[in-house]
Amino acid sequence: MDLNAQIVNLLQAATVLLLSPLLAGVSGRWKAWTESRSGPSIFQPYRDLAKYLRKETIVPEGASRLFLAAPFVAFGAYLLISIVVPIITPYPIPFASTVDFLGGGLLFGLAGALTLLVALDSGSNYAALGASRTVSFAAFGEPTLIVVFFAVAVITGTNNPYVTNNLLTASTSAYLSPTHLLVTGAFFLLLLAEIGRLPVESAGLMELGMLEEGRLYEHSGRALGVLRWNGWMKQFLLCSVFLNVFAVPWGMFAEPTVWAAVANIGVLLVKLLLLIGGLALIEATIAKVRLFKIRDYLALSFSLAILSVFAFAVLGVP
Amino acid sequence: MDPSNEVVALVGVGILLTALFLQSESFIDPLIRGVALQSLLLGVLLGWLAWTERSPDIAILAGLTVVVRAIVIPYVLRRQIRAFRWRSREVHAANRVTGHALAAVAAAIVAWFVFQQTLASVFPQPGAALPFVLLVQGLLMLATRSNTLVQVIGYLEEENAIVYAGALLAAAFPLFVEIVVFLDVLGVVLVGVILSIQRDVTGTPEEAALEELAG
Repeated sequence: MDLNAQIVNLLQAATVLLLSPLLAGVSGRWKAWTESRSGPSIFQPYRDLAKYLRKETIVPEGASRLFLAAPFVAFGAYLLISIVVPIITPYPIPFASTVDFLGGGLLFGLAGALTLLVALDSGSNYAALGASRTVSFAAFGEPTLIVVFFAVAVITGTNNPYVTNNLLTASTSAYLSPTHLLVTGAFFLLLLAEIGRLPVESAGLMELGMLEEGRLYEHSGRALGVLRWNGWMKQFLLCSVFLNVFAVPWGMFAEPTVWAAVANIGVLLVKLLLLIGGLALIEATIAKVRLFKIRDYLALSFSLAILSVFAFAVLGVP
Repeated sequence: MDPSNEVVALVGVGILLTALFLQSESFIDPLIRGVALQSLLLGVLLGWLAWTERSPDIAILAGLTVVVRAIVIPYVLRRQIRAFRWRSREVHAANRVTGHALAAVAAAIVAWFVFQQTLASVFPQPGAALPFVLLVQGLLMLATRSNTLVQVIGYLEEENAIVYAGALLAAAFPLFVEIVVFLDVLGVVLVGVILSIQRDVTGTPEEAALEELAG
């Protein structure tokens, strides 16, 4: 087996694992700036994580074994996603051929479903509330995701994210095609909803509108740490996919060497920081929509995704 | 796809997006801005066609579309609605954004199927279905909204669809320029005169309901 490729593989997994808290930290810090606060250090998530891992884990009475096991299984799912999607290489690394876009989506779905089951298993009303809300909005989010996959498949003729990346890098007309622009817009709206940003969700404990926080209500100690880490990894992965496959496919070094992959980590970080900066600006300028209006927001994202496939049908080109 | 068609396709999809926006918006001011943006995109499309076909007629038409449809009509409309007491938004649409957005997409797909079955053999060029889709969007807006002001905006969208269809499919026809100018005049008359008569004489169904609520 190619040693070089294996090292790149490990490097990519390590990038997602170790840099995802940093991304969350930078995001929190910049958000604080837009609110005229100095905010916590960008390394705060690492400190939080260290604290969670040291703390005692308390399990609610009546919770099953799932309560402690599922966060780790979800963690495994996110780690697996991190070695199958284009993050620091524009060429497929060894495990990439195991799944396509749909497979990646199913892995995200598996991790999400486990988090929901854990929330229900805890027996807490708050956690169940968060879970039921998440599911009722996911009923609009998931179809969008599926249609986004269709649109990507329409553009490239395959469901492989690496092919999409290469095609978009090579062809300006594919990048500027209505299908691609619309699907990028739809995916961006979905991204905001999935990583819990405004206008869908406001970070922090606000009990009336919480989705993500609600589900973690009963967890503590190591399990909570892992669940938080899952959230950061999910944000990192979705942002990377959005950047590398949809919005900014350019800039990655294509040589299959370790050094090129290391350089690509820098490229990715620059892209991610720009995206996070943009998200902070968006958060500073728009208000949260009411809980029952989130459905409208997701319906618009779904409409955009459908229109992207529609544009292909009407215009006859991707 | 060659760059010329690509511009036409992008502007067409932009027009389609404004149609989706109009369907899901309930406030009147953004609706007026939305239809103005749609007209502006139409003007850009006409300008591009004039440039590629080196046609002074269409160039004048593009200028006329931008001035009349994107500036004058929205301006007159905004002045007219100031006199309406209940002018800020359409009440019933506010709770139906999801339904309206999904209905718009469904109507677009149905319109495309109908176009494929009927007119596609006559107009085989890519994107020829878009004006037809826009026309159905305007019709849907007239059918689903009960506020007169919003219905006028739906009507303007239909006019846009007709101009769009003419630009894309029949720009070389002799009467094209005259018909578009006629539609411009009709639009101005509609928003300038008929709307004020309606306001003074009959009122709108929704207005009556709101007056009752206000007591």
